[in-house]
Amino acid sequence: MSGLDFEIQLLAVVVSVACALPGVFLVLRRMALLSDAISHSILLGIVLAFFWVQDLNSPILILAAAATGLLMVAMVEALHATRRVKEDAAIALVFPALFSLAVLLISRYAGNVHLDVDAVLLGEIAFAPFRRLEVAGHDLGPRSLWTMGGILALNLLFMLAFYKELKVSTFDAGLAAAMGFSPVLIQYAFMGLVSVTAVGAFDAVGSILVVALMIAPPASARLLTDRLPLMIGLSALLAAISAISGFWIARGLDASIAGSMATAAGLVFLLSMLLAPDRGVVASLLRRRRQKVSFARLMLTIHLLNHENSPAAPEENRLGHLSVHLRWSPEFARQVADRAERDGLLDRGEGDRLHLTPLGREAARHFMAR
Amino acid sequence: MAGPEAAASVPGGGPAIEVNDLTVAYREQPVLWDIDLEVRPGALTAIVGPNGAGKTTLIQSILGLVRPAAGRIRILDRPIRDARGEVAYVPQRGTVDWDFPTSVLDVVLMGTYREVGWFRRPGRAERIRAVAALEKVGMEAYQDRQIRQLSGGQQQRVFLARALVQEARIYLMDEPFQGVDARTETAIVEVLRELRDRGDTVVAVHHALQTVPEYFDDVVILNVRRIASGPVSEVFTEENLRVAYGGRVPFLHAVSDAPVADLPES
Repeated sequence: MSGLDFEIQLLAVVVSVACALPGVFLVLRRMALLSDAISHSILLGIVLAFFWVQDLNSPILILAAAATGLLMVAMVEALHATRRVKEDAAIALVFPALFSLAVLLISRYAGNVHLDVDAVLLGEIAFAPFRRLEVAGHDLGPRSLWTMGGILALNLLFMLAFYKELKVSTFDAGLAAAMGFSPVLIQYAFMGLVSVTAVGAFDAVGSILVVALMIAPPASARLLTDRLPLMIGLSALLAAISAISGFWIARGLDASIAGSMATAAGLVFLLSMLLAPDRGVVASLLRRRRQKVSFARLMLTIHLLNHENSPAAPEENRLGHLSVHLRWSPEFARQVADRAERDGLLDRGEGDRLHLTPLGREAARHFMAR
Repeated sequence: MAGPEAAASVPGGGPAIEVNDLTVAYREQPVLWDIDLEVRPGALTAIVGPNGAGKTTLIQSILGLVRPAAGRIRILDRPIRDARGEVAYVPQRGTVDWDFPTSVLDVVLMGTYREVGWFRRPGRAERIRAVAALEKVGMEAYQDRQIRQLSGGQQQRVFLARALVQEARIYLMDEPFQGVDARTETAIVEVLRELRDRGDTVVAVHHALQTVPEYFDDVVILNVRRIASGPVSEVFTEENLRVAYGGRVPFLHAVSDAPVADLPES
């Protein structure tokens, strides 16, 4: 692995983790799509600031971009408050307006600089290592690694410092307000953080895929745990895994790194959805199956009890007959009878006859009495 | 702050909560219209009224969560921003996401966040208080449970514990009995009486009219305007209820022997 590969992967991990951290609260606050809107509208800030300072590396760009992100949030809220459109429509109206204005400005006035539309949409993490940060002739590594590392540190600090305020205002905004923690203030500070993160990630992965890095790892982590600190840690871990596997997928396919990272994040979510211990698809299928057998076992004891003393009992209470009476497949009938026998509810006699044990009789009566 | 003098209510013996000329409007539509109200300290007060009467808005106005169009609210003779430490709020259970990834103890600890303050985290002392509050509502065995595993009654008890841990003097509760089982209802009433008996003030939005005389000392009957307020024995009359509910007071027939009908038609 060359130094270049290492730098790209390091940057990919830093970008992904920096995005996943605020993503946790975006998911919990049900604001996932707002992050997409932010990551698009910040482009306007970048373009306007670029026209002003004429330098793509100026920190002014980050500040201007974050400001446009907040402006977008405020505009969405103002439009929503007029009650003429719903919130989702307000988001869909505001951010394309800001984004298209930015695209217009780029294509009209900035066609010959680096700021081209392709780079805006998809970013290019592969070129990031070529833009070095040099101080007094010393090479300090890729410039974007420093920017993104700073943003990651900022996110960590913010979430450590305001963990409890974020938590209470997300869970119960009414209580937060009653206790004097302004949920509006927290909301805007947090949106500012999301904007700054989106600006940083923008350079590496473009405006479209930022939302994947912000939402997919926390959404996966949410399925894996019910504990918030663990959810935050898992989000960071899954983000790092997606970043590195994305890099190697891109390498294998000779394809876009950003696209592969987002794909990997999507695959991680798919796996979590299928295999999560409690909330996963497989777990709930198994649970349903267990419940079905468990219920059928009680139905069987009731059936046996009802026919126990009838003259037809020797005929009725046979394993082979269950498929006729209870309309079970022979295989399912055997499975249920096995389970009931294991639980001590019935005994098997000769010729597949089924006898209730005293315990089975009691269970059937108890179940019917409910 | 929980000394007997502190519990002995307000300096000068004034009301716990005083509302003057309160009007709240959403888009020019009055939700509360010129409300005057005094809440007696050391009493259990119910707020009753039909749907859309402005009960929740009244509670939220007292807490400073909605901006009134007009009026003045004083808590223990102070504006709300200087009295936040004296007030505990129990919102409607349905207003929060019970699927939120957190534990019972953690939710109760949120009650300590105000005094802990910005940046800092609750520590061991707060934890001990939170567990004690859970014991008061009979939920200490559930402290490590995830909140999504709780029943409606258990959720309500956790909310109550979160209010208790604030060690406030005034408790504002929005429908604390909504959708809870009978056992939880009894448990909550017991805790509320305990609070009152040590001098605290409880104001609760309440739906089941038939339990008002049994559970509460005072009542506020509301329908955008204040129809009546005062001791249950004086103002909880069929006539007042008819004014508030527009002649349809379903429960009055069901419990014609209950205290309401015992009252002289004054």
